[in-house]
Amino acid sequence: MLLTLTRTLKAGFQNFYRNGSLSIAAVSILTLSLLIISIIIVLSITANLGMKYVQDKIDIRVYFKSDVEESVIKNFRSEITKSMEVKSAEYVSKVQALSEFKATNSNKPDILKAIEAVEENPLLASVNIKAKNPEQYDVIAKSIEDSPFKESIASVNYQQYKLVIDRFNATLKTLRKTGAFLFILFSLIAILITFNVIRMTIFNHGTEIEIMRLVGASNNFIRLPFVFEGVIYGFVAAAVAMALLFPIVKIVTPYVVGSTYVQVIQSDFSKYFFLIFIIQIILGTLLGIISSLLAIRRYLKV
Amino acid sequence: MIEFINVKKIYGSGMAHSIALDEITFKIEKEEFVSLVGHSGAGKSTILKLIYAEEKPTSGEILFNGEDISRLSNKQLPYHRRRIGTVFQDYKLLPKKTVFENVSFALEVSGHTNKEINESVPQILEIVGLSNKMDSYPGELSGGEQQRVAIARALVHRPALIIADEPTGNLDPISSWGIIQLLIKINKLGTTVLLATHDKDVVNNIKKRVITLDQGRVIRDHSKGRYAI
Repeated sequence: MLLTLTRTLKAGFQNFYRNGSLSIAAVSILTLSLLIISIIIVLSITANLGMKYVQDKIDIRVYFKSDVEESVIKNFRSEITKSMEVKSAEYVSKVQALSEFKATNSNKPDILKAIEAVEENPLLASVNIKAKNPEQYDVIAKSIEDSPFKESIASVNYQQYKLVIDRFNATLKTLRKTGAFLFILFSLIAILITFNVIRMTIFNHGTEIEIMRLVGASNNFIRLPFVFEGVIYGFVAAAVAMALLFPIVKIVTPYVVGSTYVQVIQSDFSKYFFLIFIIQIILGTLLGIISSLLAIRRYLKV
Repeated sequence: MIEFINVKKIYGSGMAHSIALDEITFKIEKEEFVSLVGHSGAGKSTILKLIYAEEKPTSGEILFNGEDISRLSNKQLPYHRRRIGTVFQDYKLLPKKTVFENVSFALEVSGHTNKEINESVPQILEIVGLSNKMDSYPGELSGGEQQRVAIARALVHRPALIIADEPTGNLDPISSWGIIQLLIKINKLGTTVLLATHDKDVVNNIKKRVITLDQGRVIRDHSKGRYAI
């Protein structure tokens, strides 16, 4: 058994090595497919990261009229926290709002002057609500509008985020759909081409296979060299695709997601290196094995 | 050792079918030397193919050591073939392998260890008289020598039966006789030999059993036969 494995593995390497140009053709098309597949994976990872980033920024701000008692606001906060969709609700008092405002505008002296000129604190107290899921902001907004606190609320600051969220969700969906489509398409092309390359190799080895059958080689012994050849294609293709992927990601991400997120995304991205590499190796070898098994089936009369 | 019982082989089907073997019955004993003669298309090659199970009979039974080989599964097939050595008119050697490698190939694919290979191959090459050509390539050898390599390969896993399909078809009379003498020698060492040929001189010189085929039927079976059609 072990002898069969070492001998067929060796034969597989020889096939790969001696069919130079054919091997290059098979490896390059497999590389291309893997590259496209992993770019799709990278894009959806980036999109997910970007989504998270945006989600963290999104909240609903409920501003209360300036004459509303603090206890009412706190009451509202504890009520809203109870509802299923809400992840957190933070109370920001007038005083806090003012100091935050001052902090964000600390480099704009005229604004600071203007705000100091007003004797009373012009800012409103608010509750900042974050949802567990971005799609739930609609529900939360609605429940606030229908709540008994309606009278005390000055405004609900929510609409402006809705557009961003919707756009992000839509992009993510199209990305996944096109991704799946391209993935299937290129897998098929890769299988077809590898299939043909291995078929040509088998054709070149016609006499050898005939002799093997005559001297009583088991079907596995005849089949394995070609399966290993397919595995080698997959492996080499995965390595090449991986080497190409990172420079591409480095160059392309700024154009796709805009420069603000690049830092965030690229630092998070290295975590996925091994995941993507393993996916590529598995996919590559799988494509190689499938195509070689398909190609040899007809020659074995099994 | 081999027994054909009412074996019929029909190629194709319907209108286009052709009968290759028609109710053939014969028996070959262990350590016999049998020549199978007949015109092209008489059914010699079909009989050989049935024995190494490249083809299956349309009807009838083929017994090999009492076991019906037409019922072998695909898994058992390789093991059946290791009991039989095959030699062909076109040698079927691998041009990119040396003489040694061509012979050892038969052992490699059936899972013998390197130690066994390094012991058996020189022995066999000694028997066929090619010890000094071990590292040559088939292209550097004469036809007769190439056929000896093929015989060495057929012999190397010590089969009970050697099947030779027109082994002298591409050779001059002197080389031909060398090959036949080698087959006779192998037979004397205890291996059954089944030789298909239409070479009249060869058959008449062997002076052993001859089965004559014509249009898929056995028309003569003499124990000290001559080539006569």
